Amino acid sequence: MTAVVLDKTDYDVLDVVALKKMATTQVVATASGVAPDRVDAVLERLTGQGLVVVAGGSVLPTDDAEPALAAAAARFYAGVRSDADVLALVERFETTNARFLTTMSSWQQIDVGGRKVTNDHSDPDYDDKVVARLEKLVARLTPLLDALAGHDARFARYPERFAAALGSIDRGEHEFVSSPTIDSVHNIWFEFHEDLLRTLGRERAE
Amino acid sequence: MTGPGTVTASAGLTRTFAEADPADVDWLGGKGSGLARMSQQGLRVPPGYVIGTAACRSYLREGALPDGLAGEITTRLAELERRTGKTFGAGPVPLLLSVRSGAPVSMPGMMDTILNLGLDRAAAVALAAATGDSRFVADLIARFHAMYAETVLGAFDPGEGIDELVAQVRPGDDAGEVHDRIWRACEEALAASDGESVPADPRAQLFGAVEAVFRSWNTRRASTYREFHAIPHDLGTAVVVQSMVFGNLSDDSGSGVVFTRNPATGEPGLFGEYLAHSQGEDVVAGTRTPDPVDRALAPGLLDELRRTCAELERAQGDVLDIEFTVERSVLYFLQVRSAKRTPEAAVRIAADFLAEGEVGTAAALRHLTPEHVRQVQRPGFDTDEIDRARAAGRVLTTGIGACPGQVSGVLVLDPDRAKERADAGEDVILARAVTSPADLHGMIAARGIVTATGGSTSHAAVVARALGTACVVGAGALVVDGAARTLTIDGRTVAEGDEVSLDGAGGELLLGRISTATPAVATGALGSVLATAAEASGCEVLVRVTLPADVQYAREAGAHGLVTAVDDVLAATGHIDGLVRRLLDDAEMDGPFDRVAELVEQEFTPLLAAAGDLEVGVRAIDLVADEAREMLQQTAVTTRHPELAMPLGRPALVRAQLRGLARAAAAAGRTSGVHLALRHVCDPAEAAALRAIADEAAQESGGAVAVSVGAYLTSPRAVAGASRIAAAVDVVWVEVRALQAAVFGIPARQLLTAEPLDGYLRRGLLAVDPRTEIDQVVRGLLDGVAGAVRDGRTVGMRLSGEVPEEAAAQLFGLGFRRFAVDADGARPLVLALGKAAQTG
Repeated sequence: MTAVVLDKTDYDVLDVVALKKMATTQVVATASGVAPDRVDAVLERLTGQGLVVVAGGSVLPTDDAEPALAAAAARFYAGVRSDADVLALVERFETTNARFLTTMSSWQQIDVGGRKVTNDHSDPDYDDKVVARLEKLVARLTPLLDALAGHDARFARYPERFAAALGSIDRGEHEFVSSPTIDSVHNIWFEFHEDLLRTLGRERAE
Repeated sequence: MTGPGTVTASAGLTRTFAEADPADVDWLGGKGSGLARMSQQGLRVPPGYVIGTAACRSYLREGALPDGLAGEITTRLAELERRTGKTFGAGPVPLLLSVRSGAPVSMPGMMDTILNLGLDRAAAVALAAATGDSRFVADLIARFHAMYAETVLGAFDPGEGIDELVAQVRPGDDAGEVHDRIWRACEEALAASDGESVPADPRAQLFGAVEAVFRSWNTRRASTYREFHAIPHDLGTAVVVQSMVFGNLSDDSGSGVVFTRNPATGEPGLFGEYLAHSQGEDVVAGTRTPDPVDRALAPGLLDELRRTCAELERAQGDVLDIEFTVERSVLYFLQVRSAKRTPEAAVRIAADFLAEGEVGTAAALRHLTPEHVRQVQRPGFDTDEIDRARAAGRVLTTGIGACPGQVSGVLVLDPDRAKERADAGEDVILARAVTSPADLHGMIAARGIVTATGGSTSHAAVVARALGTACVVGAGALVVDGAARTLTIDGRTVAEGDEVSLDGAGGELLLGRISTATPAVATGALGSVLATAAEASGCEVLVRVTLPADVQYAREAGAHGLVTAVDDVLAATGHIDGLVRRLLDDAEMDGPFDRVAELVEQEFTPLLAAAGDLEVGVRAIDLVADEAREMLQQTAVTTRHPELAMPLGRPALVRAQLRGLARAAAAAGRTSGVHLALRHVCDPAEAAALRAIADEAAQESGGAVAVSVGAYLTSPRAVAGASRIAAAVDVVWVEVRALQAAVFGIPARQLLTAEPLDGYLRRGLLAVDPRTEIDQVVRGLLDGVAGAVRDGRTVGMRLSGEVPEEAAAQLFGLGFRRFAVDADGARPLVLALGKAAQTG
């Protein structure tokens, strides 16, 4: 399907573009850890290869991006895919992920007499408990992220992004819990999950 | 309460629930104050005491417990043993304690509750003998150890693997041996993972927990929170120490939760669950299924509970959520809180409270919010139509409702195409096998989302709820064929572009469009509540309409009158492009604008007829309206005819609209109650000129139909001179959003969208969100306008979008009693004004 062979920097940039679907070069630089001045050159190369299109200041992946990423991931991450420590931690991630999803739901909805209603955030004690659980769940990712960062340093960007989002939540900016349009805990978690699946060459179940 | 112990206690670092003054929140903290109030209301609360915030302040200053605190804690303990007839760290019935933090202001990061403190070997043996259940005691030991390790010692994930060990314990096992085995296993696991140890001595546990509460005042999260909410760092936290009661001591013990009314429907009567021979955690953990409280509780206890709930509800004027435990046929109240409720229940409760007359109007309205009203009035599928659709087999499949909302639109199977079609103005229902972050742009564009896989916590569900978009997940029968652009469900095929309907609560996906209507509750129970609110505030609320069909909706929402605009009406009836073209062609420029008069007459006659005797305010064409600058081709029009940028730049255009409106009023059989108001008037001289035009028009028509005239004030200068403008014309409106925009120097359209202001506020570059808060400067200007209201002028506040309760209360407080809002804003505003009148 594709004859394009990606180098590692190209992969890092294209990975972020594919995860975000539509992003400015600044966002791509922040999330990929590739220096902003180099991102432009990479994007130009990827455009030439027909993997991304740049329109109105935003970068979008083409249909060829996913297969190219999958092929490259198989080459780059053979070591990860056979690392028993990582795979054991990934097993545990499934449980953590399930808890994370439940916690996200309890942030958004409250059970009232057997019916779910939108959390209007009028009960700070309730919200605080949910945020405390989120912090713990994010902390539980640390061993897996560290192990992955041992193979590829770009995974070290996730803890930094989580820390920034949690810091904003502590300052009372609650949209950093689940807003889909900013770098919220939910967004970062999901991008990581997608990224993890691509790294391991697996499909998402849900 | 009184006894030898109180002599030492009066040294002043601790107070029992019975002796503390509940009003002294600064000293007792929120939780301590609540327990003191409950005790003093005569509720049977398990006895306990509060270590005041003064002790915490001293601890944080000195780094050690203050002198005398240890002695007081010991004295209080002896007192608790006496009052409860239980013994700390011994039998026959051991005294166990809960230790909690309780700051004067609730904040994140403070220490969680520690339960079951005091469980050493002797206590474990005694408790096993009292309950006849060593397994329960093993569980308690493991839970306490994990809780203490986590909250006091900061251990990460303690207690892993202990569950299996507890599960192996049989009820009849030797309790001493069980205690040793479980405790040792917990200690070993903790030592291995964190190198820590939980003290075995109950007194050491108690002191350790108290210090941990004090220390938690300075956790990173707590101090960050205080920093950003300007809460002083030296308040300190109180510590609540309370004796525990056991619902699992005997068959005449148990635990439960009740609501004073059903929190899902609002229906009167106790609603809750009770589980005999159990601790509260069993109910929460779902290990055993509780029974309805009115069937499971012994008649005497049920009577007592019912009586107490009714008294509490009346005293607090609110529906309450009450946690209780029965220990050997004695009822104890653990917690009383305001109950969380569905929007439907909130409406029903307010209506019932008003009808019952037990609590005042203010209390009845207090817990109903404008947001509840917005949710309740949200249009749902027409009930007859949905029944017919179901009967006709139009239900394609039923999944899991993940975010409520009943919507129809064209089916689209790809996020890119969903965005394209939505941008083109279509309502889109996005169907995906599964969603990922890469689908986000399509999800934002869609009115409804349906996925084949996933549960109520899947990506699609979380994102949909964050967006407030109707969503159904886990519709397993859906097979999405991306290449063919079709959806197959049990052999039926639907193509992209076909119309479908989605119910985000019930989970149904239906073929075809289903029309929506205002739910019955919004006009029924809510109607009576809003009538009370409207009476309380004495405010007039005019509602925006554009077409004759809108009038009925406005009436149902309680409108005292209507507002509309000539440009809106002409746009909605398809005349605006023609009008703009004629202005650009100069076709009418030097004439009397007869075509404009004709169109106004033609389109306003049915609207005024539908309005009946309701007041109708009509805003004149505004060729520089910021929100319509593209539709009106402003640059082209005002380049060619610069004078059209001013309210009275072309008096003939105003005359034409007055003429048309007067004829429409006559045709609709009206003699009064219609006014034409000009936007952007900012000088009394303009107002006087408008007055002269109106008088002239009245003379021409022989005084048969009097259309009054008014001004829409949009600039700070206009508002500052409101009194003099109001003296010249009949009606004045202050456009609050336009005024805010002008004061901030931001185009008004930027106040209609999330961005750019969301991002800007997040960066801390504006202290006030001009979309939701009335700025200080604007408030000062409005204060001046209030003078015109006091002089008897007709001055109203024109509001738009969602009006926050706080903003409505501020405007009411400034003395304004006349408002105009968009149709969906009417009910929430009537409620907010009624509440403001009750509390103000």
